[in-house]
Amino acid sequence: MSKLDFEEFLVESLNRSQTELPPQKDLWPGIEKALSHKLPQQTKVAVWPKLAGVAACTVGALLTAQLLFNTPQQKTGVAMSDYFTEQKQSLLVQYQNQPALTNNWQQQLNELEEAESAIKQALENEPENPALLKMLAQIYQQQLDLINKVHAPKWQQI
Amino acid sequence: MLINAKHAFNQHSETVLIEKVKSGDQQAYAALYTLHVKRVYALCLRLLADREHAEDATQEVFVQLWHKIASFEGQSQFSTWLHSVTSNIAISYLRKHKNWLQKVVSFEQSGMDEQSADDCQGLNGLDKLVLRLPERARMVFVLHAIEGYRHEEIATMLGMAVGSSKSQFHRARQLLKEWYENEQA
Repeated sequence: MSKLDFEEFLVESLNRSQTELPPQKDLWPGIEKALSHKLPQQTKVAVWPKLAGVAACTVGALLTAQLLFNTPQQKTGVAMSDYFTEQKQSLLVQYQNQPALTNNWQQQLNELEEAESAIKQALENEPENPALLKMLAQIYQQQLDLINKVHAPKWQQI
Repeated sequence: MLINAKHAFNQHSETVLIEKVKSGDQQAYAALYTLHVKRVYALCLRLLADREHAEDATQEVFVQLWHKIASFEGQSQFSTWLHSVTSNIAISYLRKHKNWLQKVVSFEQSGMDEQSADDCQGLNGLDKLVLRLPERARMVFVLHAIEGYRHEEIATMLGMAVGSSKSQFHRARQLLKEWYENEQA
């Protein structure tokens, strides 16, 4: 009997369920504010993550191509470093006037740069070691990701 | 006939609004917000079981919607599409706002307390009970019983197995039944 009562209650309640409820405060001013903050940066939001992705993919593609064809003229690690340095500088220039979302991002970047130096040092002894080259590519990618992430224009408060 | 005509007119004016919003018209967006905010908030409140979080998530929905609306191609009803966008944003809102302890030990958040649920105006008896459900059971119940999603869809949305979605739904029903019968006794 009670089971039937509950089932009836459930069916009736679901049928009568209010699809609309008003929020207790006016939410529009906050939304409007967030939109006005975000709008001028909209193109950057759309473009930079894509560029970062392209850069990261290019680093990966470069590494793969070098590993496959192993050009004798230039060491793989050196070619990768040159390309990465160019990408990193380009990002840092793009973001130089934009505030970072965290205060300690440069410290994080320094730590990644230290790891980069250690791998480069190891590569001096084994310039074509695939594991080291892969680690170097990952460290480069992490640096690009970090720079992008801390500068990505983001709606932070309403 | 009159109702159909009115419905068709509303549909037409909504389509016009959406097109204006797509071209960057913020006034049209304010009108679209007025049309849908109550539905979005109701869904956020049911999923999040917290008024302040529901208000925050509603704002997040409308901020993100401004940028997502270009991808709405009109293949489904706008309200259906908006509900799907809202559900996904509310779920990710919940994930983002879990504290580190909840993340580390997978501690499940309990629902709203009985008094706060009773204080929510405009909710029927079932809704007030639903807000008291633990997080996973509540989300599955809302998505399945109220929003009409299939367990396969819910499993994908919540990142759980289909069987877990079904068992959480069963758990929700059991708790609701128990609370309802206690209230009736």
